[in-house]
Amino acid sequence: MNPTSAPPARPAPASVAMLLADARLPGGGHAHSASLEPALLGGLPAADVPAWMVGRATTVGLVEAGTAVVAARVLTSGPHGLDHDAALSTVERAWAARTPSRALRDASRLLGRGYLRVARSLWGPHPAVAAVAARATRSSSPPRAVVLGAVAAAAGLDAVDVVRLTVYDDAQTAASALLKLEPLDPLVPARWVLDACAAAEAHVGRVAACTTPDDIPSSGAPLTEGWAEAHALTNQRLFRA
Amino acid sequence: MPENPFPETAPTTPARPLRLGVAGPVGVGKSSLIATVCRALAAELEIGVITNDIYTDEDARFLRSAGVLEPERIRAVETGACPHTAIRDDVTANLLAAEDLAADFAPLDVVIIESGGDNLTATFSPALVDAQIFVLDVAGGGDVARKGGPGIGRADLLVVNKTDLAPHVGVDVEQMVADASAAREGRAVIALSRTDEDSVAALRGWLLDVLASYRSGAHVAQDPGPMAPHFHADEDGVGVLHSHADGDHAHAHDHDDAVAR
Ligand SMILES: Nc1nc2c(ncn2[C@@H]2O[C@H](COP(=O)(O)OP(=O)(O)O)[C@@H](O)[C@H]2O)c(=O)[nH]1
Ligand SMILES: [Mg+2]
Repeated sequence: MNPTSAPPARPAPASVAMLLADARLPGGGHAHSASLEPALLGGLPAADVPAWMVGRATTVGLVEAGTAVVAARVLTSGPHGLDHDAALSTVERAWAARTPSRALRDASRLLGRGYLRVARSLWGPHPAVAAVAARATRSSSPPRAVVLGAVAAAAGLDAVDVVRLTVYDDAQTAASALLKLEPLDPLVPARWVLDACAAAEAHVGRVAACTTPDDIPSSGAPLTEGWAEAHALTNQRLFRA
Repeated sequence: MPENPFPETAPTTPARPLRLGVAGPVGVGKSSLIATVCRALAAELEIGVITNDIYTDEDARFLRSAGVLEPERIRAVETGACPHTAIRDDVTANLLAAEDLAADFAPLDVVIIESGGDNLTATFSPALVDAQIFVLDVAGGGDVARKGGPGIGRADLLVVNKTDLAPHVGVDVEQMVADASAAREGRAVIALSRTDEDSVAALRGWLLDVLASYRSGAHVAQDPGPMAPHFHADEDGVGVLHSHADGDHAHAHDHDDAVAR
């Protein structure tokens, strides 16, 4: 046995998915509420939060998930380099067209920037991460979903897991924000997280199969968009978005 | 691609401004101290400020209205109701804001980051700041300094603020400073009042010294640590006072938090 010739051990993709889903990973996510604070400020009754979470998991959550899936596909296909850059801009444009609120796009790019720090620290040399990092300027980072796509490509995550991770992360972000905004037994929103994930299951296969930017779901949530715009103008808030 | 992929995390990139944290409980005068520093140094240093309010951008607005800096140089970040997390466990939002300020107003000398007033245990991660000030005030009582805590014990500078109020709250400032100095094993302590010119000059001098030391590469960011130094007995029953901030994690000891890790 020659230990120096053994290939370096790699974590299982499932372990990487767990790391990414863990709120303790320092990527800046704790300052975000996945649109929950804007919704409550906009008048959504707290009692409607579970239904609202299911709504997200089956609409805007799938836009994010599809974007990440397609970004990962783009980054794992063909030769690396300029082609990837052009393809990534098409993915980003498709995502932006499906995310009409500027406040939400800005928040997602900010999250993307924090996530990119994580990605560069952990998978920096991987060409998929390098390709996305090369698109980041100080004023405009790729959105979080695109950065997630790069991590998925670098770590070998399955498309179905990328979809589930995106839906779970969104629901869990809202659930933990809710505990800061409404008095509640912390186990109650944990159930709602599972319900939201369950509601998304029917869509997982379809979203995981997306290959081109045109395939990305275009299901919107107009009230959420409006609430996000109003929230961005307040100066009484706990969360960035 | 820039040469250094992590300019915001490099410990001492000469091109990067000094990042100075200001921590301490709500109301001890952190925002006022920052205004004082800006006023005392605006003529010679290029300064930017980041605030971490808990629920509003009150601190940022206070500082903008103080007229000590261009309003654009004062930015607020949201902390998701976790001011503690934003300066220690996940400093992303603050790092990005510091990076933006440094780029928007290059060349900056100092970026000052005010923590959202939390409790006595909140201190900055060395991943975010190069040096930090922990602020107490005399109105909090003369014994606070003795009670200790990571910030009180090991911040680069402890400020005992609002000394002008001491007669009104029955606190002996000299005693409080002596207690603090003892708890800090000689690290810097300044008794400050914004109305006491000499004390402001001392604060100004301290900051300029740290900046010079940072620029020369001699300054090393210290982590006051999230925990107070604590006491546990070794096998001979002889007490050992140690702090987890001193790079001594490697030594074997068997108290609760080590087991829990
Ligand atoms: N008497 C006195 N009051 C001060 C001094 N510094 C700050 N304050 C007051 O203390 C209060 C809290 O100050 P602030 O800077 O907002 O504290 P922060 O919450 O730590 O940022 C305000 O009313 C300030 O005017 C001082 O040196 N002397
Ligand atoms: Mg303040």
